[in-house]
Amino acid sequence: MKTSQVKSWIVGLLRLLVAATFLYAGVIKVTNPIRFSRDINNYHVLPWSVAVALAFYLPWLEIICGVALLLRRFYYGAVAILLILISLFIIASVSAKLRGIDVSCGCFGGPSRNLNFATHLALDAALLVAIAALWLIGRRMRLERA
Amino acid sequence: MRRGGPIREGLVLLCLAFLPALGETIYWRNQMSWSHPPVQDEITVAQARSLGGSILWVDARPAEEFAAGHIPGALLLNAEQWDSLLPVMLNAWIPGQKIIVYCGKQSCGASREVARRLRDEANLANVFVLEGGWEAWEESKK
Repeated sequence: MKTSQVKSWIVGLLRLLVAATFLYAGVIKVTNPIRFSRDINNYHVLPWSVAVALAFYLPWLEIICGVALLLRRFYYGAVAILLILISLFIIASVSAKLRGIDVSCGCFGGPSRNLNFATHLALDAALLVAIAALWLIGRRMRLERA
Repeated sequence: MRRGGPIREGLVLLCLAFLPALGETIYWRNQMSWSHPPVQDEITVAQARSLGGSILWVDARPAEEFAAGHIPGALLLNAEQWDSLLPVMLNAWIPGQKIIVYCGKQSCGASREVARRLRDEANLANVFVLEGGWEAWEESKK
């Protein structure tokens, strides 16, 4: 099997995984904006009104980016947004932890609330690496084809 | 159709997300306050102590944290083991008894989630969340 085929399979698999993850995370939060507002408020960074606005907006952004990845439309725009979102989330989580706030309350529904901070951080880091790989490998493949 | 760069594509997606978000904001307009968080059902350690013995303490932390230490008489009930632990808790609960759920840290949502499920799924009333959680309880003993 050619190297380019392997890369193509890897990118395809990562793309599906990342898209499914953000679609799931978005749908879970869309159904309960009150809970998500509280989760954002728990970080003690933003005023309540901003937390509410983000609770309405961010889940839809995740869903739309997930769909964009699945359909391969606006691909790099979606990857760029998800890269920024996950980076900000990791920074906010670490910052909260450093301030002594327990951020075990995750964005992936009930089960993620029982994960400890290290596990949360590891999963977020894995997601960050996967999205960065989508960007880098995708770009390289496009350049090779050009 | 000619595709734009990541910035242009990103801007399109950012704008697209506004539409359903706006719709959802309108849908929830009467159920959420933009000025302050919803009324909290939190109870302080001092308030809980003043209630005397008619309390059922519920520990929403992971089992290993519960095993390491918990409020005397507390029962373990977390989302992870919900199905197996809920019947135990319901057997121990005396009708009319207040239930106070606690978890690890002040901002942790586990106790709030368990309290919500006790209200919504087990149809229990008088369910409270301990402000400050386990740490506040420990602090109160000093």
